[in-house]
Amino acid sequence: MEAKYNFADRFGDQVLRCSKCGLCQAVCPVFGAMLRPSYSARGKMLILKEVMDGTIELSDELIETLFQCTICKSCFENCPSGVDVPEIIRQTRRDMVQIGSCHPAFEGMNEVLKNHTNIYAEDEPEDFERERNKKAKYVYFIGCVGSYREDEATMSTLDLLDRLKVDYTLIDEVCCSGVLEDLGYQINERLARKNIDLILATGAKAVITGCPYCSRTFNSKPQYAELNDKGIKIIHVTQFLKGMDFGVKTDKLVTYHDPCDLGRHCGIYEEPREIVRKIAPRFVELRHNRVDALCCGAGGGVRGAYPKNSIAMARRRLQEVEEVGADVVLTECNSCVHNLSNAKLRKQKFRIYNISQFINELMEGTE
Amino acid sequence: MDETVKKALLDIVREENFSDSLIDLISDSYDASEHKHRPDVAVWPQNTEQVSAILKLANEYKVPVTPRGAGTSLSGTTVPVQGGIVLDMLRMDKILEIRVEDRLVVVEPGVVYDQLEKALDSYGFFFPPDPASGVVSTLGGNVAVNAGGLKGVKYGTTKDYVLGLEVVLANGSVLRTGSRCMKCVSGYDLTKLFVGSEGTLGVITEITLKVNPKPPAIATCTAYFDDMADAGSAISETMRSGILPRTLEFLDDQCIVALNQGTDLNLPEVAAMVLAETDGFTQEGADYEMDKVIEVFERNNARGITRAYSPEEAEHLWTARKSFGGVITRLKNNFIVDDTTVPISKLPEMLTGVKAISKRYNVPIATMGHLGDGNLHPNILYDGIDPEEIARVRKATADIFKLGLELGGTLTGEHGIGLAKAEFMPLEHDEVAMEVMRSIKRLFDPNNILNPGKMGLEV
Repeated sequence: MEAKYNFADRFGDQVLRCSKCGLCQAVCPVFGAMLRPSYSARGKMLILKEVMDGTIELSDELIETLFQCTICKSCFENCPSGVDVPEIIRQTRRDMVQIGSCHPAFEGMNEVLKNHTNIYAEDEPEDFERERNKKAKYVYFIGCVGSYREDEATMSTLDLLDRLKVDYTLIDEVCCSGVLEDLGYQINERLARKNIDLILATGAKAVITGCPYCSRTFNSKPQYAELNDKGIKIIHVTQFLKGMDFGVKTDKLVTYHDPCDLGRHCGIYEEPREIVRKIAPRFVELRHNRVDALCCGAGGGVRGAYPKNSIAMARRRLQEVEEVGADVVLTECNSCVHNLSNAKLRKQKFRIYNISQFINELMEGTE
Repeated sequence: MDETVKKALLDIVREENFSDSLIDLISDSYDASEHKHRPDVAVWPQNTEQVSAILKLANEYKVPVTPRGAGTSLSGTTVPVQGGIVLDMLRMDKILEIRVEDRLVVVEPGVVYDQLEKALDSYGFFFPPDPASGVVSTLGGNVAVNAGGLKGVKYGTTKDYVLGLEVVLANGSVLRTGSRCMKCVSGYDLTKLFVGSEGTLGVITEITLKVNPKPPAIATCTAYFDDMADAGSAISETMRSGILPRTLEFLDDQCIVALNQGTDLNLPEVAAMVLAETDGFTQEGADYEMDKVIEVFERNNARGITRAYSPEEAEHLWTARKSFGGVITRLKNNFIVDDTTVPISKLPEMLTGVKAISKRYNVPIATMGHLGDGNLHPNILYDGIDPEEIARVRKATADIFKLGLELGGTLTGEHGIGLAKAEFMPLEHDEVAMEVMRSIKRLFDPNNILNPGKMGLEV
């Protein structure tokens, strides 16, 4: 018999396989910050189990937990039963959207991307004082957060690329719209088409992305398969910078925050560390690092829908920075930089940068 | 539930610590066992005063209260089987004092075991019981079920470390038990009465625990046995050989088959695998004890003995044991894990007896356990769709309990009675003992509001 909801058809066996052991509570960032069991991966699976049993239906009452997951993938990495909660949540959100139960912020983002080019509905694109859409070896793809919220960081990364004499161009980029798939919707074909056309027009052989989520979207989503088919490589900026010599060092105590999208989702842990160790001989790991890294709280639509809880998650991460006494936290994701910076308390004197931005400032002599 | 009670609860804990939302009522209906029942509300008290006010209210309106930590209990202990209030202690999660000079720590009940371990590490101390769910289970829950763990063979269980408690009684009054001393025989031992009482006598709001200096040296080995009774004998002989290993973990042939199906470990498909660990303050000390263990194992026909010579090698030897929790859930839809414990010398009979029960009822049982202290974990695997299969599972469970008791054992070594074993209580405890327990329950909780329906105390 066909199940009532697609999540049950696609992932029903996994939902039933959850042994309720609760080990995910130890790593779930939403649970960790709020200490509310229904927010944990186990809580979500128990609810879906009851939906499958027919005890309850998917409904607005469940939005509070099912739409409050950063898709950080920690639960999956630590689940002894191999339950792929992030994928189950994505599918369930699609099912909920279909029956008209969706968080208004998620619905809003989908609407915004129907009529605008970016998640913030900003109509005046930042030009970063550079010529766009020219012929070049590389396209540098910034992403929404880097374009409209962390523009100083982006400017700095672009300055670094100039210093390194990289032959790149910016394009009139639009949101990759990968995030919509986390929110219960589909990638926006119009936006995908525009990005592909703009990238192809430059004749570039590779796209360097500042945002690890964009990188992941270009690499894995069928709507962007044409890039791969035409031999265009997609690389994250840390992969691009790895192996380069910058000729600068800092004597500050530096730590590194693994973005979920770069780490658990793409398995890129060592490239950024290689760069950081080169410029910062005094390097220290955070208590939770690599596959165990704690999420900054921004992903999966949570920052937009549950800003207070998102900040609470970021604060937990920053406590770990305090613990090791670092002067500088490096990462390479504008979304992480944005959320961690918003959460930073006045008493916390450390600085938060993207790696590329920090290198540029070292080279400039301002850091 | 009476709206007056809800309103009063809201006044006590405020909106952010109160919920009657469907999502919370569902997630609080479960623990890690097969039992479930929905509560009416969930509250997260912040301090002892709030717990006291909540119990006073519940007692007045005769509303059931089920205290809850991380909800990792395996016997239905935290399932609110009569509805009412789930008292979620997770937000009372502060380590109040660490005083290694007095060998003690004072914690709130919501502190996670692992959180305390990490905090003690820098002092070179540890809290030894080491429950397998320690990364997530709370100390309040550990005390309430008297949790054991992987190091119980040398270090005992939670009860051996609880020096004192603050407990809120059913009428809201606050009781302090025990002392901050290593020795104390002042009056009845009320502390021990609450350890393992599963939230049926009061709500623990503060715990004073004894802590130990942490031995830095460890030796680890694994061994295989072609005959399960040999493994049982090897373990009981080790325990009388004059040394005291800290861990003796056992996996039977069914566990090994499951591991080979679910991992790339490629273990030899023998009757049993044992992991032994010794510790000490010098490597020589730990190695001396391990030499003895290996001597005993060899005498009992062990083969393929592998000894670790580095922490990485030790980690590798642990892989099979640590992977078991993951593979067990993939064999069948459901499993029941029991924790029958027998006197150490009875291990060979118990192990062969469980095999016979598995065969008798045609239900797969994968047995692992912390066998150094006689504690077995038979995992009974079933799909749970066919009523006839469920009936066989029930019979097998009952027979395991009966066998354990016949051998002078106990129904539960470390998980507690909860709902799962409630009906079997009279098998272990005669009418005199049951009546004493019931009268204690009546004394502390005359209205039967505290975790009602558990431990087989209701007539």
